Amino acid sequence: MTAEGRAARAARQAEDRELLRRYHERGDTSAREKLIARHLPLVRSLARRYAGRGEPLEDIEQVGAIGLIKAIDRFDIEREVSLATYATPNVVGEIKRHFRDKGWAIRVPRSLQELNAKMSGAIDDLTARQGRSPSVTEIAESLGTTNEEVLEALEVGSAYSALSLDAGPGGDEDGSEPMETIGNVDAEFDRSEDRATLGPALAHLPEREREILRMRFEEGLPQTQIAERVGLSQMHVSRLIRRSLAAMREELE
Amino acid sequence: MAERVEVEAPLDFAYQGVIRLIAGGVAEQASFGFEAMDDLQLAIERLLAETGGDGRVSISFEISDGGIRTRIGPLREQRLAEALQEPDGDTGTLSLRRILSTVVDSFGVEEAGDGQIVVRMEKLGTPRS
Repeated sequence: MTAEGRAARAARQAEDRELLRRYHERGDTSAREKLIARHLPLVRSLARRYAGRGEPLEDIEQVGAIGLIKAIDRFDIEREVSLATYATPNVVGEIKRHFRDKGWAIRVPRSLQELNAKMSGAIDDLTARQGRSPSVTEIAESLGTTNEEVLEALEVGSAYSALSLDAGPGGDEDGSEPMETIGNVDAEFDRSEDRATLGPALAHLPEREREILRMRFEEGLPQTQIAERVGLSQMHVSRLIRRSLAAMREELE
Repeated sequence: MAERVEVEAPLDFAYQGVIRLIAGGVAEQASFGFEAMDDLQLAIERLLAETGGDGRVSISFEISDGGIRTRIGPLREQRLAEALQEPDGDTGTLSLRRILSTVVDSFGVEEAGDGQIVVRMEKLGTPRS
C-alpha cells in the first residue's frame, strides 16, 4: 500500500472512531446510521463470497448487515482495533449462521428452488389480476404443478429462525363450537387500544426492514400494499417480515 | 361439521418446516389465500419462538366456514402469558401480542392445568370473490 493509501485508511479509521464515540458516548443514532452506510460495501464484498449457494445475494447481504449492526453496537471504543477488522468476523459469522440454520432448505431439489423463484412473480401476477391474494391451488395451476410442490417450494425460502419450543404432550377440548369466537377478542387481550410505538429493537434492523415492519404492524397494511410501496414482491416482503422478527427475537437473547 | 387436523411435534428447529408445511396444507384446505396462509404460519412460528426450552408441542387445527382455529399447547404458562400481555416498548421489541393482533383475527388463552396454558388463535380466510 502506498503512503497515500495508508494515510487515507488512517483518516477513515479516525472518522469511524469519532462516529463510534458519538454513538456510544452520546447516543447519536445518526452517527450509527453513517457507520452502517460506510461499511455496507464491506458487507457486500463478504456476502459475494457466499453467492451461488442457493440463496439470493440480496438476502445474504441483508443477513450480513445484521452482523455489521451488531458489531457497531457491541464495539468497545477503548479497544485499539478498526471497526472493519472487528466487524468482519461478525458479518461472516452471521452469514454462516444463516446458512447453517437453512441447511435443510439448501439441500432441497433444484426443481423446488426453481419453482420458488417462479412463484414470486406468479403470486404478484395473480394478485394483480384477481384483486386478492391467490390460493395455493391457483398458484399451482398457474405454474402447472401441484399444491404440495407449491407448499414445499414456499418453504425453500421461508425458514430462518430457530424455533425453541417447550410444551408437553396433549391438547384438550373446551367444548365450544369451532370458529364461534372468530372476530371476537378476548377481554383479557383487548387490543384495539394497544397502538404503542414499536420498540427500540427495531433500530437494529436496516431502514427498509424497519419501514416494512412499521407498515405491517403499526399501519396494519397487508403484504400486497407494502410490496407495492417498497417495490418488492409479496413473497419477498413476507420473507423480510419473518426474518426481521426472528432477528429481533435473537437480539434479545 | 368442522374438520380437524392434529399434530404433535418435537420442539426443535428441524421441525419448523414440518409445522409450517402442515399449517400451509390446512390453510389450503380452508381455501385461504397466500397472504392469510402466510399470516397463520407466522403467528404459529412467533408463538412457538417465545416458549423456549425443549420438549414437544401439540397443535390442532379446526377448519370451518372459511376459517381456522388453531390451538397450541399445553405450554408453560408464565413466560408465554407474559409475552402475550407484554406492552410494546417495555422490552425493546415488537411484542408477541402486537404480532398476533395483526396477523390473526382473535386469540386467547385457556387454562390447561398444572400451571400450563393452551393458546387459541382464530384466522379467517380471504374471500375468494
